This record gives sequence, C-alpha cells and structure tokens, in this order.
Amino acid sequence: MALHTEELMLNMGPQHPSTHGVLRMVVTLDGENIVDVQPDIGYLHSSVEKMMENRTYLQNIALVDRGMDYLSAMANEEVWVLACERLGKIEVPERARYIRTIMLELQRISSHLIWLGTFGIDLGAFTAFLWAMRERERIMDLFESATGGRLHHVYFRLGGVFDDLPEGWTDRCAEFCDYFLDRLPEYDELLTGNPIFLARTQGVGVLPRDTAIALGASGPVARASGVAYDVRKAHPYEIYERVEFEVPVRTEGDCFARYLVRLEEMRQSVRIIRQCLEGLPGGEIRSKVAVTVRLPKGEVYARTESPRGDLGIFLISDGADRPYRVKIRAPAFSNLYALTEMMRGWKVADVIAILGSIDIVLSDVDR
Amino acid sequence: MIEIAIVAVKSALLLFILLTACAYMTLLERRLLGKFQVRYGPNRVGPFGLLQPLADGLKLVFKESFMPAHVDVIVYWLAPAISMVTALFVYAVIPFGPEVMLFGQRVPLRLADVNVGILLVLATSSVGVYGIILGGWSSNNKYSLLGSLRSSAQLISYELALGLAVISVVLTAGSLSLVSIVEAQRRVWFVALQPLGFLIFLIAAVAETNRAPFDLPEAEQELIAGYQTEYGGFKFAMFYIGEYVAIVTMSALLTTLFWGGWWGPVLPGPVWFVLKTLAFVFVFIWLRATLPRVRHDQLMALGWKVLIPLGLLNLVVTAVIVVLRGT
Amino acid sequence: MGELAAFMILSLVTLIPAVVVVTSSNIVRAALSLVPTFLGVTGLYVMLQAEFVAGIQVLIYAGAITVLILFVIMLTEGGTGVRTRQLNDQVPLGAMAAVWLAFVLIVIFTRTGWPTAAGVLPAYNVVAVGNAFLSDYVLIFEVTSVVLLVSLVGAIVIARRED
Repeated sequence: MALHTEELMLNMGPQHPSTHGVLRMVVTLDGENIVDVQPDIGYLHSSVEKMMENRTYLQNIALVDRGMDYLSAMANEEVWVLACERLGKIEVPERARYIRTIMLELQRISSHLIWLGTFGIDLGAFTAFLWAMRERERIMDLFESATGGRLHHVYFRLGGVFDDLPEGWTDRCAEFCDYFLDRLPEYDELLTGNPIFLARTQGVGVLPRDTAIALGASGPVARASGVAYDVRKAHPYEIYERVEFEVPVRTEGDCFARYLVRLEEMRQSVRIIRQCLEGLPGGEIRSKVAVTVRLPKGEVYARTESPRGDLGIFLISDGADRPYRVKIRAPAFSNLYALTEMMRGWKVADVIAILGSIDIVLSDVDR
Repeated sequence: MIEIAIVAVKSALLLFILLTACAYMTLLERRLLGKFQVRYGPNRVGPFGLLQPLADGLKLVFKESFMPAHVDVIVYWLAPAISMVTALFVYAVIPFGPEVMLFGQRVPLRLADVNVGILLVLATSSVGVYGIILGGWSSNNKYSLLGSLRSSAQLISYELALGLAVISVVLTAGSLSLVSIVEAQRRVWFVALQPLGFLIFLIAAVAETNRAPFDLPEAEQELIAGYQTEYGGFKFAMFYIGEYVAIVTMSALLTTLFWGGWWGPVLPGPVWFVLKTLAFVFVFIWLRATLPRVRHDQLMALGWKVLIPLGLLNLVVTAVIVVLRGT
Repeated sequence: MGELAAFMILSLVTLIPAVVVVTSSNIVRAALSLVPTFLGVTGLYVMLQAEFVAGIQVLIYAGAITVLILFVIMLTEGGTGVRTRQLNDQVPLGAMAAVWLAFVLIVIFTRTGWPTAAGVLPAYNVVAVGNAFLSDYVLIFEVTSVVLLVSLVGAIVIARRED
C-alpha cells in the first residue's frame, strides 16, 4: 500500500553542504521519497581541455594538477605524462617508475581517506572525517617532503620525476604503512560494524552490473557492482605488472559494497607500496627531455586507474611544442551518469548517501 | 509573603543557573567532541576557552536581525520563543533535592510539587514541538518545511514511547508526582526495576531532543539546517537554548525517573543530582561523536515497530506485577 | 474576587482565539489559534482543581491533535498556507442553525438546576478518574475506542489511492 502526497520540487545545490562542490540536483519528491533526480553539472567548468592547447607539454603538468580532480593530483599528472611519453617514445628510468607507483598509491589512499571521511559526514558520522584527516595528514607530510606541495605537486616530469626522494623518506613511508594498517581496524569499529551505518548503506542505491557497464561506470563504483575491471591489471602501466595485489570486487552494487571495495583498496595500496619500497632500485630518476619538447605528429590514448576510476587522456599532436587537441575521459563524470539510476525510489536522506558513495569531484566532472 | 519571595528567588536563580549551564554545555560539547575527534576544540577565548560561550552569546545578540522575504512575520518571531520558553518551563516541576533548612526557613529544592508533575513535563514538551513546526513553516523555505515535517512526525511518534516508559515508572512508584517518584526510590533505584523502561526512555529522549543519531530535523547534510535554516542572530540562539535546555531536561528526567534523583551516599542530594545529570549529558555528546544518522523511515520504524510494542509489553508486565504485589 | 478575575481572563484567552479559528482566512493561523483556546480550557480545568484532566488536555489537544492538524495542512498545501474563501451560498442556512443551537443551549443552561455546593474533592483525582472509566463509564470508554479505531481505518482507506 502506498500513500501519495503532492510532489515537491527541491533544488539541492549548487550551494548545499553536501553536494561535494557545486553540483545541482533537481530532486522531485513525493513526501520524503524520490521520484526523480536530474543532476545539473557545469558550474565548475574551466575548459581545461582548451587551455591545454595553449600550454607546452611541461606547463600542462601543472594544469592537470589543479584543473582536474584536485584530490588526486598525482593521478592526473600520471595520465598526462603517460600519454606524452607514449607518443614521444620517451624512456623512463626504472627508479622513477617505482617512485611514481609509490606516489600514485599514496595518492589513492589519501583520496580514499577523504572519501571515507566525507561519506561519514554525509551519513552524520562526523568523527570519521576527522580521523581520516589525521591519517591523510601523514600522507600530506610525505608528499610535502618529497615534492614540496601538499595538494598540487607538479612532481612528475616527461621521462621521470622532478627530484629524487629526500633522505630517510623511504623509512618514513614504510613507517606510515605500518601505522596505517594499525589504524584501519578503527574504521571497522566505528563504521563497518555499526548497525545504523549498515542500515543506511546496505541495499541502498543498488547499481546492477549490466547497468554499470552500459553507463560506463568504472573504478570502485563498477567494481562494487561486480565488474572486475581495473586498469592497473587490464592495461598495466609503470610497474603494476611486477607487483602483487588483488582487485577487490563485490557483487552487491550498493553503497556498502562501494565502501568495502574502497576500504580494501587502501589495504592493497599499502601492499603495493611495501613491495615498491623493497624493490626500489637506484640510478637515474629522469631521462633527458628538452624543456620545450616537441612530440612527433600523431595521436595516442593513455588510461590509468585513478582513485575514482578509469582516467584516460586522448592526445593529438601536430608536431608543435604544445598539444593540438586533448580529450579527457573523467571517471567521476561517467560515474555520475549512474546517479539517477541509483536514486529512484529512495529517500531524501539517501540522496546524500548515494551521491557520497559515488565519490565525485566536481572539478573532475566539469573540467 | 515570604513563600512568594522564596519562589521568586528560586525561579530567578534557577533560570540563571539553567541558562549558564546551557551556555557552558555548548562549550563542554565542543571540547568533548574535540577530544573524541583528535582535535582541540575552542580554547582561545579565556583560559581553556571558558569565555567562549560569552563571546558566542555576544556575537549572536549583536547580529543583524535578518528576515527572509515572504515569511509569516508573527509566527516567524513566535516560533523560537515557544521553543525556548517551553524548554525552560519544565524545570518548574523537576526536584533537585530534598527540603533543606535555609535562614530558618524550610526550602524545598524545587519550584513546585504538582501532583501530576510528570504529566506536566510531557505536556510541556509536546507543546515545544510548535517552536519547530512553526519555525519551519513560517520561514518560506522548502528545507525548513521538510525539517519541520520530519520533526513533527518524529516527536509525535517518540512521545508515545516516552510516555509508555514513564507510565511504567508511574505504576511502579504509584504516583504522578516527581517528588514522590524520587521518594519511592529511597531503597531501590528504578533502573533496577525497570531496565527495559530505562532503555526505551533513553532512546526516546534522544529522539525527542533531536540529537544525533536522531537529529533528522536539522540534518545538515540533507536539509542544510532544517527548521532553523532561515533563522539568525538571537532568534537562532533561542532555538539553540531550547535544544540544549531540552538535553539537560531529559538528562534530569532520566536521573529523576530511573537513577534515584537526589539519593546517593556521602554527598548532599543536589550534588548527586547534578552529577547524575551531567553523566547523561555526557552520554548525549558521546552518542553524537560515535553514531551516524539514521534515515527517517528507519527512525519511524524503530519507534512504531520496536519501541512502542516493547513499551506496551513493559507496561502490561509492570501493571500485572504491581497488582499481584498489591493483593 | 481573584477567582472571578482569573475566570474572566481565561475565558477571554479561550474565546478570542476561538473566534480567530473560524474567521482567519489563513488556514495555518486558524489551526494555530486552537492552541491558546485549548490552553485557556486547561486553565479552567486547573481552576476546578482537576490537574490530571488539565495535563491530559495539554498533552492530547494542544500537544498532539493540533500538531497533527498542522502536519496535515503542510503536507497537503505544500506549506503555503493558502487563503481560503470564508463564505459560500449556505451562509443563511448556517446562521439559522447557529441561532437555533444557541437558543437551545441557553434554554438548557437556564433550566438546569446546577449544584452550587462544592462537594469534597478527592485528594488525588487520578485514581478517581481511573475508577470512573473502568467501572461506571466502561461502556462509553470502550465505544469511544472503537469509534477511534473505525475512524483510523477509514482515514487510511480514504487516503489510499487505487493503484
């Protein structure tokens, strides 16, 4: 039996405490039930792709850093230098590839921690946010001592990385890995076993496997829906072929599955970092590449597994010192497609839970 | 004449203590949350941040009294006042301690011993709903409206559970007067006789005060600030005072109904009362630091499908036992 | 003297909002005006030393019933508090009914021999109320609960849409 009330249109955002930036959702409500959700994006559009055409390949590293997903700057740098290196056939020294992998995985942990914290806030568990920030702070410190930047690093270069790791950095990084694995069970205690948390996430916002594939979802969102796809395994880059790690996959497709997948990914990231630290070779950190490098004429597509999913860049060069055209495939944008599908029939409170579980970054969606 | 003077002095004193306590509860809460969340909390204004509530109060008083367009003016101004006044009113019947001799006068440590005291408490808190529902309706804002709808549904549902738990206590004590209820706990506190009733009351009390994990009417992540979205300055402060006084009220009621009120060894009665009340205030803050928020329908399901049936069961069992013991 | 003054004031508190209830064109304000009316009646109960009834009056009428009325208004009108029309074609009919009812009531009030000597109040009238409900008035009590149940079921049936 269903009782209906008059429908109510509610504008959530662009200024709203928990739309994770300037997302606007036009929600049609029947009482507290959601009839329809229409996400309205573009408030943070900064035409990154066009701006890239006017910058040299080196300058673009700094642009992708902040113009795209600002919570995982390293991942953006990686996909950009990867595309350039593939097009220009630039060799990357072994040590640099190890360093890059370590940085990427640290970035994944830090990004997932932010997600974990904000997801907690979305569900009303404020404490989880500050605990996550405590762990993330250690990663920020590691980044800062190696790259000089906390959020925006401009650390990767075509053919390597900007500078070698400072003295004692690897020890501190290994120390962090131990510390972090000690801390992770605390989140299990605070959230995973909490009946209210389970009631809010289990079975909520289910994204079926075929819908996830049809909508082009990727990353933890797709893996929580049973799509066992990870670019690090499917199209390995850097040294992902050589390290051992598992790709966590859940089949439930609900918010709780997305939560579990991300939590497990953080554990796997620690595993990767530990292996990299053990196998870290000596030697050069950067091959010789001109500052205003001209890439040969041609086109290339590079894809990486950013914390949010399948991050790709399609790069066309006409032989000049700057790209002719760049197209970015942003994972948060594709994952946002699934929003309406997941939300129909749930309650107002679930809008926030489901949106939070997708883990969008608006500057990645809008670019 | 002297009785009236005593009551007047007591009222003024009580009002002063309550408002101060409420102000410092905000500080306590923020400091405790800071400790829970590995950060400091406010510690800049005065030693240990002790002047923070004063600074906050001053700030709120001197803020521009802003009013959004198309509000229902009378109702808009009335709502925060209702919220605060009803919250304060409850203290007229809560006993803080036994009678004491002061300056040669017998002074009972309570304002009034109404013989339907507990009923008055429930009635007043049910009138307090108006502050929320009217504030949300009059501000001409959809978030406010949703917030006030949620809260009215929530308060009506949980008042039932609260009432059922209270009636069990009333049956056990054989009186509706709060003083008699405390007197009846001279030997055994009712938490031992009514453990289920205590749990039901505790959960319903958290829901009644709109506190985490049942803080749906003002769920920041969903409804901005719910019914108080469009309120600022001292009007906002009045809502705030109402909310915090309600927390102290519920803690005091938990103490009075289940934990023996002023009874306790060694220390004088009022000290015990304050200590027990503070312990429950701490529980409220602790809950907020630990738990995520439940969803509206889950909250309703918990109220109607779990708490109320359990409360009824508890009531029936209590009634049967009371009758059997009486015969 | 003081008692009369209190009675007068309470009557005004009861009656003035009652007039607003039927005259206000803002439906939310009309519903809201029920609250002081109920509270005024509560005051009258207190004057009659019926504390229990007074408490229940606030709890049920001022606290629950009016909140529910407001709740329903907000859900159906989208919370806009629309101005409703006050008069329709049946005004003369209504006026006639009102006058007739007033006449009947006045006649009854004037002809009834009201007991003026106050009896002895029970010290604790909750017990008296409870005993009365479950002995002398048990039939009325039960019938009332059945009526409430029926109206509850009826409301659900009406509210339910044919799916």
